Amino acid sequence: MTPPRPAAARAFFLPAGTPGDADAARTLFALHDVPPAGVTVRGALLYLPPFTEEMNKSRRMAALQARAAAAAGWHVLRIDLTGTGDSSGDFADARWAAWREDIDVARAWLAQASGHEPWLWGLRLGALLAAQAAAERPAPGLLLWQPATSGRNALQPFLRLKAGAAWIGTGAAAGGDAPPKAAEPSPLQQLQAGQTVEIAGYTLAPALALPMAEAVFTPPPAPTRVIAFEVSPREGATLSPALERALAPLGDRARAAVLPGPSFWQAQEIETAPALIDATLAALAEAAA
Amino acid sequence: MQVAAELKTILDDVLSLRGRAQGFGDDTPLLGDIPELDSMAVVSLITAIEERFGVGIADDEIDGSVFASFGSLRAFVEQLLAR
Repeated sequence: MTPPRPAAARAFFLPAGTPGDADAARTLFALHDVPPAGVTVRGALLYLPPFTEEMNKSRRMAALQARAAAAAGWHVLRIDLTGTGDSSGDFADARWAAWREDIDVARAWLAQASGHEPWLWGLRLGALLAAQAAAERPAPGLLLWQPATSGRNALQPFLRLKAGAAWIGTGAAAGGDAPPKAAEPSPLQQLQAGQTVEIAGYTLAPALALPMAEAVFTPPPAPTRVIAFEVSPREGATLSPALERALAPLGDRARAAVLPGPSFWQAQEIETAPALIDATLAALAEAAA
Repeated sequence: MQVAAELKTILDDVLSLRGRAQGFGDDTPLLGDIPELDSMAVVSLITAIEERFGVGIADDEIDGSVFASFGSLRAFVEQLLAR
């Protein structure tokens, strides 16, 4: 008999604002994948997406994983953080502190809906946010995909897009002249001076960028388990030194592996890494056993 | 570590070239010839080069000529490694 197929994810808007706040009415776009009837519920996963274009490029992988995890008995909630995707607010409204609140709201909702305290699952910057959230309030586990071990390392490539446009001649310096040096403050300097910065069509506010630049991977307290995966197109790739260092304080509580596949969160075309999905399902099955 | 081989792997990965970079030679044109090479891809490329080769590249060290061809990119990376 063929295994039951989960239904399509349920899309809805989750209220996230705090009454009395300026953005009390804000809502988060959310997708809930529910285990099909007849499948034993194993737990719940809250997915936190990566930053800006990485989120768009990795939507397919997140959807594939969510669907597969639901078929295996996990409730999965994917959210768009405030000011991103289909959640309320523009990107200029996105604040690091609001994102932390969004996570709290989503965790509470999912715990209620599934009957299980959720694992926190994140990709790239989402993984860093997951780790911070778990350090503040314990989660049964962390599932980290290609984690950013510092917010600065996730922010730098984005800030660099302005320079990138100049390198290929489509930025302000287009016309063959060398880009202006020194005269203009760098995007980071502008943010530190309290100004928003326009990059690649995104309006980035200091209330998002500056706390993000300070954020570092925080090991969660016992007994939170940590499963971390990196993906590499190279044969025989080893775990990045940055991730090894970040996980070292966790000892036996952390397991990490490198899987073969494309850098789907940044690749030019929408790519998938089936090995990552298989490894994630295997790790979740072991965790639930 | 072979610079050219590493660069081909990085180009295939970042630009989703599906192995086409393996056939690149020094005179293979990049910028202007590969539509996938936009500002986002070029930043991913430089970041991957920094991480893979363990070098830091200042934004003002780069201009369009670096990406003119596979050969110019290879020469740029070799010059970085030689410092």
